[in-house]
Amino acid sequence: MSSKMVEFTVNGKKLLAFEGLNLLKYLLDNGYNIPHYCYHDSLGADGNCRMCMVEIKGKKRPQIACDTLIKEGLEVNTNTPTIKRLREEILQMQLRNHPVDCPVCDKAGECYLQNYYMDYGLYKEGKHKKQKIKKSKNIEFGRNVVYDEERCILCKRCVRFFANITKTNELGVIKRANHSTISTAPNQKLQSQYAMNIVDLCPVGALLSSDFKFKQRVWFLQSSPSICHGCTKNCNITIDYSSTKFQAERIYRYKARRNEDVNGYFICDEGRLSYKEYHTNRVTQIEYKNSIIDFKEAISKIGIEIFIHKDIVILASPNLYIEELESIIKWSKKLNARLYSPLECYKDKEFADNWLKEELRVANAYGVMALEIDTSTPDISSDTLLINFDHKLAQDINTLHRIDFITHSINSQGLILPLASWVQSSRHLINSSGIKQYAPKTLVANKPILTVTEWIEAIGGDI
Amino acid sequence: MSFEFTKEELEYIEELSQRYPSPKALMLPLLWIIQNRLKHIPTEAFKAVADITKTSEAQVYGVVTFYTMFTLKPTAKYHIQLCKTLSCNLCGSKELLNLLKERFNLLPNQQNGDFQLTLVECLGSCGTAPVVQINNRLYENLTPAKLQKILEDFS
Amino acid sequence: MKEVKIVSKRFDIEGINHIKKAIEHGAYSTIHKMFDKDPKTIVDEIDKSGLRGKGGGGAPTGAKWKLMLQDFKLPKVLVINCDENEPGTFKDRQIISKDPHLLIEGIILTSYAIGANDVYIYIRGEYHQWQNILQKACDEAYLQGYLGKNILGSKYRVDITICKGAGAYICGEKSALLESLEGKRGHPRLKPHQKEPEWYFGRPTLVNNVETIATVPFIVENGADAYKEYGTSKSPGSMLFAMSGHINNPGVYEAEFGTSMMEYIEYYGGGIKGGNLKGVIPGGASTPILNATEVAKAKLDYESIKELGSSLGTGGMIVMNDSVNMVEALKNLLEFYHHESCGQCTPCREGTAWVDEIVESMLRYSASYNSIEQLLQIGQTMNGKTICVFAPAVSGVIDGFVKKFRSEFEEYLRGVCNE
Repeated sequence: MSSKMVEFTVNGKKLLAFEGLNLLKYLLDNGYNIPHYCYHDSLGADGNCRMCMVEIKGKKRPQIACDTLIKEGLEVNTNTPTIKRLREEILQMQLRNHPVDCPVCDKAGECYLQNYYMDYGLYKEGKHKKQKIKKSKNIEFGRNVVYDEERCILCKRCVRFFANITKTNELGVIKRANHSTISTAPNQKLQSQYAMNIVDLCPVGALLSSDFKFKQRVWFLQSSPSICHGCTKNCNITIDYSSTKFQAERIYRYKARRNEDVNGYFICDEGRLSYKEYHTNRVTQIEYKNSIIDFKEAISKIGIEIFIHKDIVILASPNLYIEELESIIKWSKKLNARLYSPLECYKDKEFADNWLKEELRVANAYGVMALEIDTSTPDISSDTLLINFDHKLAQDINTLHRIDFITHSINSQGLILPLASWVQSSRHLINSSGIKQYAPKTLVANKPILTVTEWIEAIGGDI
Repeated sequence: MSFEFTKEELEYIEELSQRYPSPKALMLPLLWIIQNRLKHIPTEAFKAVADITKTSEAQVYGVVTFYTMFTLKPTAKYHIQLCKTLSCNLCGSKELLNLLKERFNLLPNQQNGDFQLTLVECLGSCGTAPVVQINNRLYENLTPAKLQKILEDFS
Repeated sequence: MKEVKIVSKRFDIEGINHIKKAIEHGAYSTIHKMFDKDPKTIVDEIDKSGLRGKGGGGAPTGAKWKLMLQDFKLPKVLVINCDENEPGTFKDRQIISKDPHLLIEGIILTSYAIGANDVYIYIRGEYHQWQNILQKACDEAYLQGYLGKNILGSKYRVDITICKGAGAYICGEKSALLESLEGKRGHPRLKPHQKEPEWYFGRPTLVNNVETIATVPFIVENGADAYKEYGTSKSPGSMLFAMSGHINNPGVYEAEFGTSMMEYIEYYGGGIKGGNLKGVIPGGASTPILNATEVAKAKLDYESIKELGSSLGTGGMIVMNDSVNMVEALKNLLEFYHHESCGQCTPCREGTAWVDEIVESMLRYSASYNSIEQLLQIGQTMNGKTICVFAPAVSGVIDGFVKKFRSEFEEYLRGVCNE
């Protein structure tokens, strides 16, 4: 691609773009609805699905947009009757041996094949072949990926993911002609820590996540952009959750969200499955010495504790947002407390790799450092009052005088106050490359839970 | 069952690798070495091939299943490959097939004792049709009588 | 009938596979004079001769060679395409079995002209016997100093490696061949956006057919004009044409371009066997069939066959007499294409299976009433919408059979309810 801007036309409209840019990339990025399977921004063109055909002036036959480069004076037509008929014909070929089992397919609702059928297909009955070739279904690829040969359209996105992105080549196309399928090596399972990305990549229902399979129809899900809290990489994700009436909100899955500056197009499997943490072991009630107390009682207890202790240590989780940490800093100054956010206990050398997984398994460690919060481990004597804002280290500290603002239950005999999880709060994070990102609030619990800032406000600290 | 290249084979492979710009190019030669020795390519051998060619076992699997001459199952002592494409078909390959079916009880893709029949696409001997390739040898200008004689001489 | 002996000049000599005998009859004579020439003059001579690739496409060889003359970072490679899979074609095999040293001589000249030291001959896996002959010939040429590090005492090196395919028709397509040579599945590559050489592990590569290379020694020795004396102005020279099927003397015979097809069939083939002529597939199975009237008009050159809506292809003619059932013949070819599609592009992967199925159901008298239209329609969908020319060729084959012998196809639809 050169840095020269050239003028070209799409459907009669004059446009400007860099010379040599991939035409399909341009069209997709600029809101044109061009059917395609094998092309993916991260994988480039392969030219095998033949869906993205467009008419180009001067060319006798329609051309695939994914293998066309933009040049001066290029005249493109994406919606002529020829192109529409062509898309219909190619779709018909893809559907010939497809089981058309959308009612039981998990991809229904977000399947390219289904979408394009609604746009260009809708053939009369009888155009489909009556006897379809039977192939294997529900093949366990390992690492939570299951494969359905019958639904596969052989776009090779998954094969190319392992060839070009992870470079582990764990999948291959086997056999030939219309007997071709995708397979791992015989008696082998996928090994890659990023394997589940191929489920996101698969444009049809061939590759499914066994974790999400049969859990929820996608049209009942709502999506919200967010940031993964699994490590300091801060990969961009989409949280898919449901908020059906009269039911508690539930997160069903995380999906990778494109951000070329941070994670590209992918996330690691561990991050993807970390949505489960949201639901397990959550603290929902205010407790004191294992019995439930009400809000007013809790506030007065906090007041008393603060009043009677001279030495106060505040532990702030490096998972908290920048703005939340700032409130804690202010409050600690007011209380004349010692503020710490130790990072050592979040380190996990085995988790790290040289791509998306980083050693510090906490989201805002670099925010903590930017705010110059002490990251060493505090001394705690028997007279110290420990105020814990969801820090992992607190569960290992044995002290009687403690107030725990926590999201997930820990073993504590002190005052326990439920804290909003990161999905129930919003603000900024800083990742290991110093990129500051905004994570919007996604979920609202049926019974509202206070965030850090709200708690401090309720206690009477300045925020 | 595990698979290893013999010492002689490894020496030959080493010599061969000097001829190519990348070890990846050794894929087909290695598979031929295995197929020639074992008359098939066992899946256990994939790792040995992948290691030398610096590819993965899934890639080896893809290559083995792409080319029709490689087989994953052992072939019989006499592998009869009957050409069924147009020129041979016009010149009487059907009669040869009938002979094999009736006289030798051989059906396509089936084994019967020492014999195994596969119907193959063009063997590149259209001028001397119909032809049959048995193991590595080509038999040209066949008639049912000639083929019968050839097979009877084997058994 | 003017007989031509350019490539086949030594075919009938007993024991010509032995290098001594071959040298006695003039083999390698051009190599001794080769180093006096500037490589570029050889390329120019080939370009001037108008030599066209004999592998089926008929593209000008000189233009392809010229692409190799630029400076590249990595060493150049010459690949000889001997993956002769096209049904009806068996000419490369003749060159290898009847005069392998001609091919080796051509290879040395070509590699010197384009500046390649490494040569790979990709020979189809089924050619066990011919592979052995070729290997033996190469070994002899090494011993005689025509191949190896210092050719005839010069500083020039040429190494030939024979690589065996393993049964995949599509590997005859040059980019699929290179993929296969790189140890991968033989999937054709996307075409480049501008004119450039092929690439083998990132190295600039020239891929030429066996017969094309075997023609090079003649042109280098006798000059472009001598070659142009034969043939027509647009298809100069000669070619090894082949006949198979219903013909009295099937085989490979060299003839100059522009020879009348019927004359060729009568003169060399000894006429049609077992009946009258019904049709001829002119250049390997992938070229559309010609019916008897077209055959009478046909001349064996690229332009004349193209005018008849077919193509000269590899020059391997499949001759059919009037006993042939055209529906069965088409079914036979469609089975071939169904089996050999690499499975990469959707229209080809699904289309080849689909048309095969339709013709099969016709033969079982169970096809639907619109099957013929459906066949042609699927053919259209396959035409020009894939990476390589495999699917368009299938489309042409269907078109040829169905349009020229439509009544035979309709016969199979008789009695099918029109609803």
